[in-house]
Amino acid sequence: PLTPMTPMTPVTPASESSGIVPQLQNIVSTVNLACKLDLKNIALHARNAEYNPKRFAAVIMRIREPRTTALIFSSGKMVCTGAKSEEQSRLAARKYARVVQKLGFPAKFLDFKIQNMVGSCDVRFPIRLEGLVLTHQQFSSYEPELFPGLIYRMVKPRIVLLIFVSGKVVLTGAKERSEIYEAFENIYPILKGFKKAS
Amino acid sequence: TTWPNTGCFSEVAYSQSTGQKEQLSRCLQRGIRRVQDLCKVLQLPTVFEETAVSYFQRALQHPSFHLVSLEKKELLGGCCIFVTCRQHNWPLTMGTICSLLYVKQELFASVYLSLQKELGLSVPALSLGDLVKTHLNSFQLFQHAANVPAPFVEDKEKMVARTMQIVELASETWLVTGRHPIPIVTAAAFLSWQSLQPAARLTCTFARFCKLAGVDLPPPAHLRLKELLEILLRMASQLAWLRVFNMDKKTVVKHIGDLLQHRIFLLKNAFCLEDEEEQRAVAPGEGSPGSPPAAGGAAQEEGCPSERKRQHEGGPRPLLPPCLINPRKRLRTAAPSASDSAITGDEPISDSEIEQYLRGPEEIRAFRKAK
Repeated sequence: PLTPMTPMTPVTPASESSGIVPQLQNIVSTVNLACKLDLKNIALHARNAEYNPKRFAAVIMRIREPRTTALIFSSGKMVCTGAKSEEQSRLAARKYARVVQKLGFPAKFLDFKIQNMVGSCDVRFPIRLEGLVLTHQQFSSYEPELFPGLIYRMVKPRIVLLIFVSGKVVLTGAKERSEIYEAFENIYPILKGFKKAS
Repeated sequence: TTWPNTGCFSEVAYSQSTGQKEQLSRCLQRGIRRVQDLCKVLQLPTVFEETAVSYFQRALQHPSFHLVSLEKKELLGGCCIFVTCRQHNWPLTMGTICSLLYVKQELFASVYLSLQKELGLSVPALSLGDLVKTHLNSFQLFQHAANVPAPFVEDKEKMVARTMQIVELASETWLVTGRHPIPIVTAAAFLSWQSLQPAARLTCTFARFCKLAGVDLPPPAHLRLKELLEILLRMASQLAWLRVFNMDKKTVVKHIGDLLQHRIFLLKNAFCLEDEEEQRAVAPGEGSPGSPPAAGGAAQEEGCPSERKRQHEGGPRPLLPPCLINPRKRLRTAAPSASDSAITGDEPISDSEIEQYLRGPEEIRAFRKAK
Protein backbone atom coordinates (compact mmCIF):
# COMPACT_ATOMS: atom_id res chain seq x y z
CA PRO A 1 0.00 0.00 0.00
CA LEU A 2 1.15 3.53 -0.78
CA THR A 3 2.13 5.78 2.12
CA PRO A 4 -0.54 8.51 2.42
CA MET A 5 0.87 12.00 1.82
CA THR A 6 0.20 14.59 4.46
CA PRO A 7 0.06 18.15 3.10
CA MET A 8 2.80 20.40 4.53
CA THR A 9 0.45 23.37 4.84
CA PRO A 10 -3.18 23.23 5.95
CA VAL A 11 -5.57 23.19 3.02
CA THR A 12 -8.93 24.90 3.33
CA PRO A 13 -11.59 22.35 2.44
CA ALA A 14 -13.50 23.31 -0.69
CA SER A 15 -16.76 23.27 1.25
CA GLU A 16 -15.47 26.01 3.56
CA SER A 17 -13.91 28.19 0.84
CA SER A 18 -16.14 30.97 -0.42
CA GLY A 19 -15.60 30.17 -4.10
CA ILE A 20 -15.47 33.93 -4.72
CA VAL A 21 -12.26 35.62 -5.79
CA PRO A 22 -11.97 39.35 -5.13
CA GLN A 23 -11.11 41.32 -8.23
CA LEU A 24 -8.30 43.88 -8.09
CA GLN A 25 -9.55 47.37 -8.90
CA ASN A 26 -6.66 49.70 -8.15
CA ILE A 27 -2.94 49.48 -7.48
CA VAL A 28 -0.89 52.36 -6.09
CA SER A 29 2.87 52.18 -6.58
CA THR A 30 5.84 54.46 -6.18
CA VAL A 31 9.17 54.68 -7.90
CA ASN A 32 12.21 56.93 -7.64
CA LEU A 33 13.36 58.46 -10.94
CA ALA A 34 16.49 59.58 -9.04
CA CYS A 35 16.90 63.00 -10.65
CA LYS A 36 15.56 66.51 -10.05
CA LEU A 37 12.77 67.42 -12.47
CA ASP A 38 11.67 70.74 -13.95
CA LEU A 39 7.89 70.32 -13.70
CA LYS A 40 7.11 73.43 -15.73
CA ASN A 41 9.27 72.09 -18.53
CA ILE A 42 7.56 68.68 -18.38
CA ALA A 43 4.10 70.25 -18.47
CA LEU A 44 5.08 72.34 -21.49
CA HIS A 45 6.54 69.49 -23.52
CA ALA A 46 4.18 66.64 -22.64
CA ARG A 47 0.66 66.43 -24.08
CA ASN A 48 -0.70 64.24 -21.32
CA ALA A 49 0.40 66.41 -18.42
CA GLU A 50 -1.31 68.99 -16.23
CA TYR A 51 0.47 71.20 -13.74
CA ASN A 52 -1.05 73.79 -11.45
CA PRO A 53 1.50 74.55 -8.72
CA LYS A 54 -0.98 76.74 -6.81
CA ARG A 55 -3.25 73.76 -6.37
CA PHE A 56 -0.78 70.86 -6.16
CA ALA A 57 2.99 70.65 -6.32
CA ALA A 58 3.23 67.83 -8.86
CA VAL A 59 2.64 67.16 -12.53
CA ILE A 60 -0.38 64.93 -13.16
CA MET A 61 0.31 62.72 -16.16
CA ARG A 62 -1.89 60.11 -17.80
CA ILE A 63 -1.35 57.31 -20.29
CA ARG A 64 -3.90 55.27 -22.16
CA GLU A 65 -2.43 51.81 -21.78
CA PRO A 66 -2.32 50.68 -19.04
CA ARG A 67 -4.96 53.27 -18.16
CA THR A 68 -3.29 55.01 -15.24
CA THR A 69 -2.40 58.35 -13.68
CA ALA A 70 0.96 59.43 -12.32
CA LEU A 71 1.95 62.17 -9.91
CA ILE A 72 5.44 63.35 -10.73
CA PHE A 73 7.26 65.46 -8.15
CA SER A 74 10.23 67.77 -8.67
CA SER A 75 12.28 65.56 -6.36
CA GLY A 76 12.07 62.79 -8.94
CA LYS A 77 9.66 60.69 -6.91
CA MET A 78 6.60 59.40 -8.70
CA VAL A 79 3.27 57.82 -7.69
CA CYS A 80 1.38 55.65 -10.16
CA THR A 81 -2.32 54.88 -9.64
CA GLY A 82 -5.16 53.18 -11.48
CA ALA A 83 -3.62 49.92 -12.65
CA LYS A 84 -5.54 46.67 -12.22
CA SER A 85 -2.53 44.46 -11.45
CA GLU A 86 0.96 44.70 -10.06
CA GLU A 87 2.45 43.98 -13.47
CA GLN A 88 0.34 46.65 -15.15
CA SER A 89 1.39 49.15 -12.47
CA ARG A 90 5.04 48.39 -13.10
CA LEU A 91 4.63 48.64 -16.86
CA ALA A 92 2.80 51.94 -16.54
CA ALA A 93 5.44 53.35 -14.18
CA ARG A 94 8.13 52.37 -16.70
CA LYS A 95 6.26 54.19 -19.46
CA TYR A 96 6.01 57.36 -17.39
CA ALA A 97 9.73 57.12 -16.65
CA ARG A 98 10.37 56.72 -20.38
CA VAL A 99 8.31 59.86 -21.14
CA VAL A 100 10.38 61.80 -18.60
CA GLN A 101 13.58 60.40 -20.18
CA LYS A 102 12.41 61.46 -23.65
CA LEU A 103 11.94 64.96 -22.27
CA GLY A 104 15.66 65.08 -21.58
CA PHE A 105 15.94 64.09 -17.91
CA PRO A 106 18.32 61.29 -16.79
CA ALA A 107 15.47 59.34 -15.18
CA LYS A 108 16.22 55.98 -13.63
CA PHE A 109 13.78 53.41 -12.25
CA LEU A 110 14.74 52.78 -8.64
CA ASP A 111 12.90 51.18 -5.70
CA PHE A 112 9.67 50.41 -7.48
CA LYS A 113 7.22 49.36 -4.77
CA ILE A 114 3.56 48.49 -4.57
CA GLN A 115 2.17 50.66 -1.79
CA ASN A 116 -1.51 49.73 -1.79
CA MET A 117 -3.87 47.33 -3.51
CA VAL A 118 -7.66 47.62 -3.62
CA GLY A 119 -9.96 44.75 -4.43
CA SER A 120 -13.70 44.25 -4.48
CA CYS A 121 -16.23 41.47 -4.67
CA ASP A 122 -19.82 40.59 -4.02
CA VAL A 123 -21.01 37.97 -1.56
CA ARG A 124 -24.41 38.01 -3.29
CA PHE A 125 -26.59 38.38 -0.22
CA PRO A 126 -27.64 41.43 1.83
CA ILE A 127 -25.87 41.99 5.16
CA ARG A 128 -27.27 43.27 8.47
CA LEU A 129 -24.56 45.78 9.28
CA GLU A 130 -26.16 46.61 12.64
CA GLY A 131 -25.72 42.99 13.71
CA LEU A 132 -22.15 42.79 12.48
CA VAL A 133 -21.08 45.92 14.36
CA LEU A 134 -22.58 44.48 17.56
CA THR A 135 -20.79 41.16 17.40
CA HIS A 136 -17.48 42.51 16.06
CA GLN A 137 -17.36 45.85 17.84
CA GLN A 138 -13.62 45.87 18.39
CA PHE A 139 -12.93 45.68 14.65
CA SER A 140 -15.94 47.53 13.23
CA SER A 141 -17.03 51.10 12.78
CA TYR A 142 -20.53 51.65 11.43
CA GLU A 143 -21.76 55.25 11.33
CA PRO A 144 -24.66 55.53 8.89
CA GLU A 145 -24.72 59.29 9.48
CA LEU A 146 -21.27 59.46 7.88
CA PHE A 147 -21.00 56.59 5.46
CA PRO A 148 -23.39 53.82 4.39
CA GLY A 149 -20.84 51.01 4.78
CA LEU A 150 -19.30 49.31 7.76
CA ILE A 151 -15.53 49.80 8.14
CA TYR A 152 -13.91 46.59 9.33
CA ARG A 153 -10.25 46.80 10.36
CA MET A 154 -8.90 43.29 10.17
CA VAL A 155 -5.78 42.65 12.24
CA LYS A 156 -4.37 39.69 10.37
CA PRO A 157 -3.85 40.35 7.58
CA ARG A 158 -3.83 44.10 8.18
CA ILE A 159 -6.58 45.00 5.73
CA VAL A 160 -9.49 47.42 5.88
CA LEU A 161 -12.77 46.17 4.49
CA LEU A 162 -15.77 48.31 3.55
CA ILE A 163 -18.85 46.17 3.83
CA PHE A 164 -22.15 47.36 2.38
CA VAL A 165 -25.74 46.29 2.94
CA SER A 166 -25.90 45.08 -0.68
CA GLY A 167 -23.27 42.44 0.02
CA LYS A 168 -20.56 44.27 -1.88
CA VAL A 169 -17.19 44.31 -0.16
CA VAL A 170 -14.16 46.53 -0.84
CA LEU A 171 -10.77 45.46 0.53
CA THR A 172 -7.85 47.85 0.78
CA GLY A 173 -4.49 48.31 2.46
CA ALA A 174 -2.77 45.29 0.95
CA LYS A 175 0.81 45.23 -0.23
CA GLU A 176 0.35 41.78 -1.83
CA ARG A 177 -2.71 40.28 -3.48
CA SER A 178 -2.59 37.25 -1.19
CA GLU A 179 -3.52 39.58 1.69
CA ILE A 180 -6.69 40.59 -0.16
CA TYR A 181 -7.64 36.97 -0.77
CA GLU A 182 -6.85 35.95 2.79
CA ALA A 183 -8.84 38.85 4.24
CA PHE A 184 -11.87 37.94 2.17
CA GLU A 185 -11.71 34.28 3.14
CA ASN A 186 -11.57 35.40 6.79
CA ILE A 187 -14.59 37.71 6.50
CA TYR A 188 -16.80 35.50 4.34
CA PRO A 189 -17.89 33.05 7.08
CA ILE A 190 -18.57 36.02 9.38
CA LEU A 191 -20.77 37.65 6.76
CA LYS A 192 -22.57 34.41 6.07
CA GLY A 193 -23.59 34.44 9.71
CA PHE A 194 -25.67 37.55 8.99
CA LYS A 195 -27.21 36.23 5.80
CA LYS A 196 -30.45 34.86 7.24
CA ALA A 197 -30.82 37.47 9.96
CA SER A 198 -33.91 38.83 8.23
CA THR B 1 19.25 78.32 57.69
CA THR B 2 22.98 78.81 57.73
CA TRP B 3 25.21 79.07 54.67
CA PRO B 4 26.54 75.50 54.97
CA ASN B 5 22.93 74.19 54.76
CA THR B 6 22.10 75.91 51.47
CA GLY B 7 23.88 73.14 49.56
CA CYS B 8 20.72 71.08 49.92
CA PHE B 9 18.64 73.65 47.95
CA SER B 10 19.69 72.11 44.64
CA GLU B 11 18.41 68.68 45.69
CA VAL B 12 14.79 69.56 44.87
CA ALA B 13 14.08 71.32 41.55
CA TYR B 14 11.90 74.46 41.74
CA SER B 15 9.42 73.08 39.21
CA GLN B 16 8.87 69.94 41.26
CA SER B 17 8.02 71.69 44.52
CA THR B 18 5.88 74.44 42.99
CA GLY B 19 3.93 72.07 40.67
CA GLN B 20 4.89 74.06 37.55
CA LYS B 21 4.98 70.93 35.42
CA GLU B 22 1.52 69.98 36.59
CA GLN B 23 -0.12 73.12 35.25
CA LEU B 24 -2.42 72.67 32.33
CA SER B 25 -1.65 74.55 29.14
CA ARG B 26 -3.95 77.37 28.15
CA CYS B 27 -5.17 75.39 25.18
CA LEU B 28 -6.08 72.45 27.38
CA GLN B 29 -7.79 74.67 29.95
CA ARG B 30 -9.83 76.38 27.23
CA GLY B 31 -10.71 73.06 25.69
CA ILE B 32 -11.84 71.57 29.00
CA ARG B 33 -14.00 74.62 29.69
CA ARG B 34 -15.55 74.26 26.22
CA VAL B 35 -16.32 70.58 26.84
CA GLN B 36 -17.93 71.45 30.17
CA ASP B 37 -20.01 74.22 28.59
CA LEU B 38 -21.21 71.93 25.81
CA CYS B 39 -22.21 69.30 28.36
CA LYS B 40 -24.26 71.94 30.21
CA VAL B 41 -25.97 73.04 26.98
CA LEU B 42 -26.85 69.41 26.20
CA GLN B 43 -27.94 68.89 29.82
CA LEU B 44 -25.77 65.83 30.19
CA PRO B 45 -25.18 64.11 33.56
CA THR B 46 -21.98 65.01 35.47
CA VAL B 47 -20.41 61.61 34.85
CA PHE B 48 -20.59 62.29 31.09
CA GLU B 49 -18.72 65.56 31.56
CA GLU B 50 -15.96 63.83 33.54
CA THR B 51 -15.56 61.10 30.93
CA ALA B 52 -15.55 63.56 28.03
CA VAL B 53 -12.95 65.74 29.76
CA SER B 54 -10.69 62.76 30.42
CA TYR B 55 -10.95 61.69 26.75
CA PHE B 56 -10.15 65.25 25.71
CA GLN B 57 -7.05 65.38 27.91
CA ARG B 58 -5.86 62.03 26.57
CA ALA B 59 -6.50 63.05 22.98
CA LEU B 60 -4.69 66.38 23.27
CA GLN B 61 -1.62 64.62 24.61
CA HIS B 62 -1.64 62.16 21.72
CA PRO B 63 0.85 63.02 18.92
CA SER B 64 -1.93 62.88 16.29
CA PHE B 65 -3.80 65.76 17.91
CA HIS B 66 -1.09 67.72 19.67
CA LEU B 67 -0.20 69.80 16.62
CA VAL B 68 -3.51 70.04 14.80
CA SER B 69 -5.17 73.36 14.04
CA LEU B 70 -7.15 75.23 16.70
CA GLU B 71 -10.31 74.53 14.74
CA LYS B 72 -9.71 70.79 15.02
CA LYS B 73 -8.83 71.07 18.70
CA GLU B 74 -12.18 72.74 19.34
CA LEU B 75 -13.88 70.02 17.34
CA LEU B 76 -12.07 67.41 19.38
CA GLY B 77 -14.00 68.45 22.47
CA GLY B 78 -17.26 67.89 20.63
CA CYS B 79 -16.05 64.49 19.43
CA CYS B 80 -15.20 63.46 22.99
CA ILE B 81 -18.71 64.39 24.11
CA PHE B 82 -20.20 62.54 21.17
CA VAL B 83 -18.23 59.38 21.99
CA THR B 84 -19.18 59.62 25.67
CA CYS B 85 -22.87 59.95 24.83
CA ARG B 86 -22.76 56.97 22.53
CA GLN B 87 -20.98 54.86 25.13
CA HIS B 88 -23.78 55.63 27.57
CA ASN B 89 -26.47 55.02 24.92
CA TRP B 90 -27.43 58.67 25.03
CA PRO B 91 -28.84 59.29 21.54
CA LEU B 92 -26.92 62.31 20.37
CA THR B 93 -26.64 62.54 16.59
CA MET B 94 -23.72 63.96 14.69
CA GLY B 95 -26.02 66.49 13.11
CA THR B 96 -26.85 67.94 16.55
CA ILE B 97 -23.26 68.21 17.75
CA CYS B 98 -22.13 69.68 14.41
CA SER B 99 -24.77 72.39 14.57
CA LEU B 100 -23.71 73.22 18.15
CA LEU B 101 -20.08 73.50 17.10
CA TYR B 102 -20.87 75.30 13.82
CA VAL B 103 -18.74 72.85 11.87
CA LYS B 104 -19.15 70.86 8.70
CA GLN B 105 -19.99 67.24 9.18
CA GLU B 106 -17.09 66.12 6.95
CA LEU B 107 -14.51 67.77 9.21
CA PHE B 108 -16.22 66.46 12.34
CA ALA B 109 -16.27 62.98 10.83
CA SER B 110 -12.54 62.98 10.07
CA VAL B 111 -11.62 64.10 13.61
CA TYR B 112 -14.11 61.66 15.14
CA LEU B 113 -12.78 58.68 13.19
CA SER B 114 -9.17 59.64 14.07
CA LEU B 115 -10.10 59.95 17.73
CA GLN B 116 -11.76 56.55 17.70
CA LYS B 117 -8.74 54.95 16.05
CA GLU B 118 -5.91 56.68 17.94
CA LEU B 119 -7.41 56.26 21.41
CA GLY B 120 -8.78 52.80 20.61
CA LEU B 121 -12.25 53.80 21.78
CA SER B 122 -15.09 51.38 21.42
CA VAL B 123 -18.19 53.25 20.30
CA PRO B 124 -21.44 51.29 20.30
CA ALA B 125 -23.88 51.74 17.45
CA LEU B 126 -26.61 54.33 17.81
CA SER B 127 -29.76 52.85 19.30
CA LEU B 128 -32.69 53.56 17.00
CA GLY B 129 -35.19 53.17 19.82
CA ASP B 130 -33.47 55.81 21.92
CA LEU B 131 -33.12 58.04 18.87
CA VAL B 132 -36.86 57.88 18.22
CA LYS B 133 -37.62 59.02 21.79
CA THR B 134 -35.08 61.82 21.70
CA HIS B 135 -36.05 63.05 18.25
CA LEU B 136 -39.76 63.09 19.08
CA ASN B 137 -38.96 65.13 22.21
CA SER B 138 -38.22 68.05 19.91
CA PHE B 139 -41.64 67.84 18.18
CA GLN B 140 -44.08 70.58 19.18
CA LEU B 141 -47.25 68.60 18.61
CA PHE B 142 -47.89 67.31 22.09
CA GLN B 143 -49.24 70.49 23.61
CA HIS B 144 -51.87 72.95 22.45
CA ALA B 145 -50.32 75.98 20.80
CA ALA B 146 -51.53 78.94 18.75
CA ASN B 147 -50.10 77.63 15.47
CA VAL B 148 -51.14 74.00 16.00
CA PRO B 149 -54.83 73.26 15.23
CA ALA B 150 -56.54 71.21 17.94
CA PRO B 151 -57.02 68.06 15.79
CA PHE B 152 -53.27 68.02 15.17
CA VAL B 153 -52.25 67.75 18.82
CA GLU B 154 -51.29 64.19 19.73
CA ASP B 155 -50.55 62.17 22.83
CA LYS B 156 -46.79 61.80 23.10
CA GLU B 157 -46.65 58.25 24.41
CA LYS B 158 -48.98 56.93 21.71
CA MET B 159 -46.98 58.63 19.02
CA VAL B 160 -43.65 57.39 20.35
CA ALA B 161 -44.96 53.81 20.57
CA ARG B 162 -46.36 53.80 17.05
CA THR B 163 -43.31 55.54 15.56
CA MET B 164 -41.11 52.95 17.22
CA GLN B 165 -43.14 50.15 15.62
CA ILE B 166 -42.91 51.75 12.18
CA VAL B 167 -39.15 52.27 12.56
CA GLU B 168 -38.81 48.60 13.55
CA LEU B 169 -40.79 47.64 10.47
CA ALA B 170 -38.48 49.81 8.38
CA SER B 171 -35.49 48.10 9.94
CA GLU B 172 -36.88 44.61 9.21
CA THR B 173 -37.54 45.53 5.59
CA TRP B 174 -34.03 46.83 4.95
CA LEU B 175 -34.94 50.51 4.84
CA VAL B 176 -32.65 51.49 7.71
CA THR B 177 -29.31 49.77 7.13
CA GLY B 178 -26.75 52.07 5.60
CA ARG B 179 -29.03 55.12 5.69
CA HIS B 180 -29.17 58.31 7.75
CA PRO B 181 -31.46 57.53 10.70
CA ILE B 182 -33.17 60.91 11.18
CA PRO B 183 -35.05 60.99 7.85
CA ILE B 184 -36.49 57.53 8.57
CA VAL B 185 -37.55 58.54 12.08
CA THR B 186 -39.14 61.73 10.73
CA ALA B 187 -41.03 59.82 8.01
CA ALA B 188 -42.16 57.21 10.55
CA ALA B 189 -43.29 59.95 12.94
CA PHE B 190 -45.38 61.53 10.17
CA LEU B 191 -47.06 58.22 9.29
CA SER B 192 -47.65 57.41 12.93
CA TRP B 193 -49.19 60.84 13.57
CA GLN B 194 -51.45 60.61 10.52
CA SER B 195 -52.59 57.08 11.35
CA LEU B 196 -53.62 57.99 14.91
CA GLN B 197 -56.30 60.38 13.63
CA PRO B 198 -56.50 59.90 9.87
CA ALA B 199 -59.80 61.70 9.34
CA ALA B 200 -58.38 65.03 10.41
CA ARG B 201 -54.81 64.58 9.27
CA LEU B 202 -54.72 62.84 5.90
CA THR B 203 -54.84 66.16 4.06
CA CYS B 204 -51.79 67.49 5.91
CA THR B 205 -48.63 67.25 3.82
CA PHE B 206 -45.29 66.05 5.13
CA ALA B 207 -43.76 69.50 4.78
CA ARG B 208 -46.58 71.14 6.73
CA PHE B 209 -46.34 68.48 9.43
CA CYS B 210 -42.64 69.23 9.93
CA LYS B 211 -43.30 72.95 10.01
CA LEU B 212 -46.00 72.55 12.66
CA ALA B 213 -43.81 70.19 14.65
CA GLY B 214 -40.95 72.69 14.49
CA VAL B 215 -38.47 70.18 13.00
CA ASP B 216 -36.40 70.15 9.83
CA LEU B 217 -37.51 68.12 6.85
CA PRO B 218 -34.30 66.46 5.65
CA PRO B 219 -34.35 65.75 1.88
CA PRO B 220 -34.16 61.93 2.03
CA ALA B 221 -37.24 61.84 4.30
CA HIS B 222 -39.57 62.05 1.27
CA LEU B 223 -37.91 58.98 -0.24
CA ARG B 224 -38.08 57.11 3.07
CA LEU B 225 -41.78 57.96 3.31
CA LYS B 226 -42.35 56.63 -0.20
CA GLU B 227 -40.50 53.41 0.61
CA LEU B 228 -42.44 52.93 3.86
CA LEU B 229 -45.75 53.41 2.05
CA GLU B 230 -44.75 50.83 -0.57
CA ILE B 231 -44.01 48.31 2.16
CA LEU B 232 -47.32 49.08 3.89
CA LEU B 233 -49.26 48.75 0.64
CA ARG B 234 -47.71 45.34 -0.02
CA MET B 235 -48.59 44.25 3.49
CA ALA B 236 -52.14 45.58 3.10
CA SER B 237 -52.61 43.46 -0.03
CA GLN B 238 -52.25 40.39 2.20
CA LEU B 239 -54.94 41.40 4.69
CA ALA B 240 -58.16 39.65 3.71
CA TRP B 241 -60.53 42.44 4.77
CA LEU B 242 -58.50 45.08 2.95
CA ARG B 243 -58.29 43.31 -0.39
CA VAL B 244 -61.74 44.54 -1.34
CA PHE B 245 -60.61 48.13 -1.06
CA ASN B 246 -58.51 49.85 -3.67
CA MET B 247 -55.66 50.79 -1.38
CA ASP B 248 -53.43 53.71 -2.23
CA LYS B 249 -50.82 55.73 -0.39
CA LYS B 250 -53.45 57.84 1.35
CA THR B 251 -55.95 55.17 2.32
CA VAL B 252 -53.38 52.67 3.60
CA VAL B 253 -52.48 55.12 6.38
CA LYS B 254 -55.89 54.51 7.99
CA HIS B 255 -55.00 50.86 8.48
CA ILE B 256 -51.45 51.21 9.79
CA GLY B 257 -52.60 50.09 13.23
CA ASP B 258 -53.89 46.76 11.86
CA LEU B 259 -50.88 46.28 9.65
CA LEU B 260 -48.49 46.75 12.55
CA GLN B 261 -50.51 44.39 14.72
CA HIS B 262 -50.16 41.56 12.19
CA ARG B 263 -46.76 42.59 11.00
CA ILE B 264 -44.96 39.25 11.20
CA PHE B 265 -47.64 37.33 9.34
CA LEU B 266 -48.06 40.01 6.68
CA LEU B 267 -44.34 40.37 6.02
CA LYS B 268 -44.06 36.63 5.58
CA ASN B 269 -46.86 36.60 3.02
CA ALA B 270 -46.10 39.84 1.25
CA PHE B 271 -42.42 39.20 0.72
CA CYS B 272 -40.40 36.29 -0.50
CA LEU B 273 -38.22 35.40 2.47
CA GLU B 274 -36.47 32.46 0.80
CA ASP B 275 -32.70 32.21 0.35
CA GLU B 276 -31.49 35.65 -0.73
CA GLU B 277 -28.76 34.11 -2.83
CA GLU B 278 -31.39 32.64 -5.12
CA GLN B 279 -33.06 36.01 -5.29
CA ARG B 280 -29.79 37.68 -6.23
CA ALA B 281 -29.06 35.17 -8.95
CA VAL B 282 -30.73 37.54 -11.43
CA ALA B 283 -27.50 39.49 -11.85
CA PRO B 284 -23.95 38.16 -12.23
CA GLY B 285 -21.78 39.12 -9.27
CA GLU B 286 -18.28 40.50 -9.83
CA GLY B 287 -15.21 38.44 -9.09
CA SER B 288 -17.02 35.11 -9.36
CA PRO B 289 -15.10 32.67 -11.46
CA GLY B 290 -18.00 30.27 -11.31
CA SER B 291 -20.22 32.63 -13.27
CA PRO B 292 -18.45 33.98 -16.33
CA PRO B 293 -20.22 36.82 -18.12
CA ALA B 294 -21.86 34.65 -20.77
CA ALA B 295 -23.39 32.27 -18.27
CA GLY B 296 -24.22 35.16 -15.96
CA GLY B 297 -25.99 36.93 -18.79
CA ALA B 298 -28.03 33.81 -19.51
CA ALA B 299 -28.92 33.53 -15.85
CA GLN B 300 -30.03 37.12 -15.92
CA GLU B 301 -32.27 36.48 -18.89
CA GLU B 302 -33.66 33.42 -17.16
CA GLY B 303 -34.06 35.05 -13.79
CA CYS B 304 -35.57 38.35 -14.82
CA PRO B 305 -38.64 37.13 -16.71
CA SER B 306 -39.67 34.86 -13.83
CA GLU B 307 -39.01 37.65 -11.36
CA ARG B 308 -40.98 40.13 -13.46
CA LYS B 309 -43.74 37.58 -13.93
CA ARG B 310 -44.00 37.09 -10.19
CA GLN B 311 -44.23 40.81 -9.58
CA HIS B 312 -46.70 41.30 -12.40
CA GLU B 313 -48.97 38.66 -10.92
CA GLY B 314 -48.77 40.48 -7.55
CA GLY B 315 -46.79 37.66 -6.03
CA PRO B 316 -44.37 38.13 -3.18
CA ARG B 317 -41.44 40.41 -3.90
CA PRO B 318 -38.04 39.42 -2.48
CA LEU B 319 -37.25 41.17 0.78
CA LEU B 320 -34.06 42.95 -0.17
CA PRO B 321 -32.49 46.35 0.43
CA PRO B 322 -33.75 48.99 -2.04
CA CYS B 323 -30.27 49.28 -3.58
CA LEU B 324 -30.66 45.67 -4.76
CA ILE B 325 -34.28 45.97 -5.88
CA ASN B 326 -33.53 49.12 -7.92
CA PRO B 327 -29.80 49.09 -8.61
CA ARG B 328 -28.68 52.44 -9.97
CA LYS B 329 -25.19 51.47 -11.01
CA ARG B 330 -24.40 49.48 -14.07
CA LEU B 331 -22.58 46.28 -13.22
CA ARG B 332 -18.88 46.28 -14.01
CA THR B 333 -17.32 43.71 -16.31
CA ALA B 334 -16.47 40.61 -14.31
CA ALA B 335 -12.93 39.37 -14.91
CA PRO B 336 -9.87 40.93 -16.53
CA SER B 337 -9.23 39.87 -20.15
CA ALA B 338 -6.65 37.25 -21.07
CA SER B 339 -4.33 39.88 -22.59
CA ASP B 340 -4.40 41.90 -19.35
CA SER B 341 -3.49 38.80 -17.39
CA ALA B 342 -0.55 38.08 -19.71
CA ILE B 343 1.23 41.36 -18.85
CA THR B 344 4.52 40.80 -17.01
CA GLY B 345 5.49 44.43 -16.48
CA ASP B 346 8.79 43.98 -18.34
CA GLU B 347 7.42 44.33 -21.87
CA PRO B 348 9.50 46.43 -24.26
CA ILE B 349 8.19 49.97 -24.70
CA SER B 350 8.27 51.33 -28.24
CA ASP B 351 9.50 54.84 -28.94
CA SER B 352 6.45 55.55 -31.06
CA GLU B 353 4.16 54.85 -28.15
CA ILE B 354 6.03 57.30 -25.93
CA GLU B 355 6.34 59.95 -28.66
CA GLN B 356 2.55 60.14 -28.97
CA TYR B 357 2.62 61.81 -25.56
CA LEU B 358 5.18 64.46 -26.51
CA ARG B 359 4.42 67.82 -28.10
CA GLY B 360 6.11 68.80 -31.33
CA PRO B 361 7.85 72.19 -31.72
CA GLU B 362 4.83 73.71 -33.52
CA GLU B 363 2.53 72.56 -30.80
CA ILE B 364 4.79 73.94 -28.10
CA ARG B 365 4.85 77.33 -29.85
CA ALA B 366 1.05 77.33 -30.16
CA PHE B 367 0.65 76.26 -26.51
CA ARG B 368 3.00 79.03 -25.34
CA LYS B 369 1.10 81.55 -27.42
CA ALA B 370 -2.23 80.39 -26.04
CA LYS B 371 -0.95 80.65 -22.45
